[in-house]
Amino acid sequence: MAASGATNDEMMDIGGAELDNNKNEKMFTLKKWNAVAMWSWDVECDTCAICRVQVMDACLRCQGDGNRQAGGKQPECVVVWGECNHSFHHCCMSQWTQQNKRCPLCQKEWSIQRMGK
Amino acid sequence: MRMRECIFPIYKLRCSLSSHLILLSSLELGNMNQLSSKMATISGSYPKGGQDKPQISFEDQWPKMQPTIVKLLRQESVNRPEWQDMFYSVHQVCLWDEKAAAKIYKALQENIAEFIGQAQQRVLAHSEDQALLKAYISEWRKFFDQCSYLPKPFIQVEVSLNNHPSNNSVGKKHRGDDSNVRKLMLDSWNNQIFMNIKQRLQASAMKLVRAERNGEAFDSQLVIGVRESYVNLCSDPEDKLKIYRDNFEKSYIEATESFYQVKATQYLQDNGVQNYMRYAFSKLKEEETRAKKYLEPASGSIQALMDCCVGVLVTAFKDQILAECPGMIKDNETEKLQLVFKLMDRVPDGIGSMLNDLEDHIKTAGLDDMKLWADVITQDSEKYVERLLELFRRFSSIVSSAFCDDPRFLTSRDKAYKLVVNDTSVFRLDLPTGRQGPAVKTQPESRCPELLANYCDLLLRKTPLSKRLTSDDIEARLRDVLLVLKYVQNKDVFMRYHKAHLTRRLILDASADSEKEENMVEWLREVGMPADYVNKLARMFQDIKVSEDLNSQFKEQYRLAKGPIGDSINIKILNAGAWARGSERISVSLPLELEDYIPEVEEFYRRKHNGRKLQWYHHMANGTITFSNSVGRFDLDVTTFQMAVLFAWNQRPKDKISYENLRLATELPDPELRKTLWSLVAFPKVKRQLLMYSPEVQSPKEFAENSTFWVNQEFTVIKNGRPQKRGKISLIGRLQLSTERSREEDNEGIVQLRILRVQEAIIKILKMRKRISNAQLQVELVDILKNMFLPSKKMIKEQIEWLIENKYMKRDEADINSFIYMA
Ligand SMILES: [Zn+2]
Ligand SMILES: [Zn+2]
Ligand SMILES: [Zn+2]
Repeated sequence: MAASGATNDEMMDIGGAELDNNKNEKMFTLKKWNAVAMWSWDVECDTCAICRVQVMDACLRCQGDGNRQAGGKQPECVVVWGECNHSFHHCCMSQWTQQNKRCPLCQKEWSIQRMGK
Repeated sequence: MRMRECIFPIYKLRCSLSSHLILLSSLELGNMNQLSSKMATISGSYPKGGQDKPQISFEDQWPKMQPTIVKLLRQESVNRPEWQDMFYSVHQVCLWDEKAAAKIYKALQENIAEFIGQAQQRVLAHSEDQALLKAYISEWRKFFDQCSYLPKPFIQVEVSLNNHPSNNSVGKKHRGDDSNVRKLMLDSWNNQIFMNIKQRLQASAMKLVRAERNGEAFDSQLVIGVRESYVNLCSDPEDKLKIYRDNFEKSYIEATESFYQVKATQYLQDNGVQNYMRYAFSKLKEEETRAKKYLEPASGSIQALMDCCVGVLVTAFKDQILAECPGMIKDNETEKLQLVFKLMDRVPDGIGSMLNDLEDHIKTAGLDDMKLWADVITQDSEKYVERLLELFRRFSSIVSSAFCDDPRFLTSRDKAYKLVVNDTSVFRLDLPTGRQGPAVKTQPESRCPELLANYCDLLLRKTPLSKRLTSDDIEARLRDVLLVLKYVQNKDVFMRYHKAHLTRRLILDASADSEKEENMVEWLREVGMPADYVNKLARMFQDIKVSEDLNSQFKEQYRLAKGPIGDSINIKILNAGAWARGSERISVSLPLELEDYIPEVEEFYRRKHNGRKLQWYHHMANGTITFSNSVGRFDLDVTTFQMAVLFAWNQRPKDKISYENLRLATELPDPELRKTLWSLVAFPKVKRQLLMYSPEVQSPKEFAENSTFWVNQEFTVIKNGRPQKRGKISLIGRLQLSTERSREEDNEGIVQLRILRVQEAIIKILKMRKRISNAQLQVELVDILKNMFLPSKKMIKEQIEWLIENKYMKRDEADINSFIYMA
């Protein structure tokens, strides 16, 4: 390693530090990590087939309610999965099942497999 | 008691108590009625139509009445008995002699004519103007006074005349000003004296006005008196000002016009345009004051005269005056400009060319200024915004001090300033035009919105600038940005950059003031930024709060399970819909120390939520590491990518590691690795870099596979020129969140979004209209989109074609230039 112009003392210091590193700790140690992740609904299709809005966004009706509230606050608008594995906004599907008990995509009888949370 | 004394108090009350007069006369009349019925009883026979010669005839009575009439006309004293006799005689004669009314009327006419003839002679005896006017006015005033008294005793005559079948058209209005006798008096005056001398009267009056214009003093009451006589003379109830208007007003206006036709031209020749403007302005004021004195108020005369004055003083020299305007604007001569403005504002279509001059000036001066400062402002968004604001203030101050913030000039300022803001000659942002990736052809746009967003970032982030400024200063500057933003055409570009900066600030916890951040969102809403853009920002703030709660829950659990090591991790788990739609993720091989956390976090999250999947965004993550070398120990703020690179040396601290091996160790994509390494070997303003490398290169692109890197064992933090043994430094810089391809993608993203917006808007319009012409569609489209961007003709055309192809709409078969919505 080039250490031109360095005094003997400094060279010795380097040696000392080296020794410490090897004995006690690594050269770089982690102090803090700020991790970032994004969540999204675990769905096969990004768009809700009923309202045509992406499932990550609130459904049309909830967006309307949100806009009407001061500051555009969005209420919780979750996703629901059927046994057929198709998914929709829970709000949209609740409306839909009042008219029709079948999945709008595959026409199988609609029964809820799980609910987003 | 003398009649004079009787009339006098009534005369004084004439204006306010005219009804009193009528009351008095009917009272007198009441007495007369009693009297006459007494007489009728005495004489034993009441007159019925078709009887012999009347017992009381006109011929008998007239000689008794006539002297009083003459006295009244001459304004000589009439005593009470004489005055009462008049009523009595008139009443009697009309009662007994059915032809008496007409006879009285005719006799009155003769007497009035004779009197007027005498008056005329007295007036015309004067040849000097002022004396003539004085004499006329005095005669007229006397006569006019009598017009109110003389008719009183003849009310009976009026009644008889008006009841006569041939006179029905006159109707029953026989009282006061509309009385026949009064009309007779005024008409006689008009025909006999006025018609003969009105030319001389007018000429004399106008001579006096002219003398006043030339600075000579005279008794203005003379002119006012003449005008009053003209006004009062008219007996036409439909148009009481007819005589005044046709004669006095006309000659006043003509005299004024011919006076200034000569004077104005002369003044302009002798004193030049700029002095002339002052002259014209002061004369307009002067003439207005004079007109208020000499012309009849509420007759429209003053307006007519001022129109004439504007014509002769201003409109006649419009071109010469307007020619001064561009130079004055350039030299900021606001006082003179205000004069031009005030003059031209009175001329029909006077300020049109001034508006053009102002617009030209703003365009030229604005762009020249931008070009002059191009070197500085293209590098420094703060300087750029300062220049823009300086220009805005300069132009606004002209509009305010020279044009009194007249809305027309404000509109011109806005129009021209908008051109400066959106100009592409100094800065341009090249946007790809096509839908397929970065196309060859580009459509340049102003970089203004990007620079504005950068400036906002400087104010809202923890920066030297935001630390230097007070909270109020920052708010004022943010408001300034919003002011300029109003003029920006491609607001969507601003919002995109603003959102990117905000994302960065929130994820790095780099906001200077979180309250101001949220205020800014509301201000953007207030200035009319599209709601869906603003709502997205608001959603990010809500989401970051949700994430903060989650983080504290996680840390609590983690601390319970693993002890204090839990303090070394923070998690942000964000809603992908709000933050990162479509954004690129970069894979990296994490150091083991970090890798260990991943399943812990995922397990924690899985227990809290249902149906959600997590994706790690390591290019947004960062942390602090401690670095020990021979000099000391240092805390380094680094990105996760920097961490991944640096941790490669933990196994072999002294080694030189090749670029290739670092890539194998980190699994970072080539461009990211280059950029990350460059940030560690050549971090701006750092005197001793953390990594050393060989061979020397000028840019990250030049690193070769076998370039080698090693840790600088002499790295230290330099403070006040001296190396430190301990210290903290951030090496994150502007790295985070912006991936190599991000800039290009940002611009492409903007274009993609615009295409989508255009399609949406077209569908929206068609849905409403069902059928629409191409021209109308373009207009409505621009209107819908104007708060975001200005769609190019080409883009609209392409999207229409795409929508037709995909059967959202079709061309009207009957009219190729119209479209029909297809549900
Ligand atoms: Zn839905
Ligand atoms: Zn909903
Ligand atoms: Zn299904």
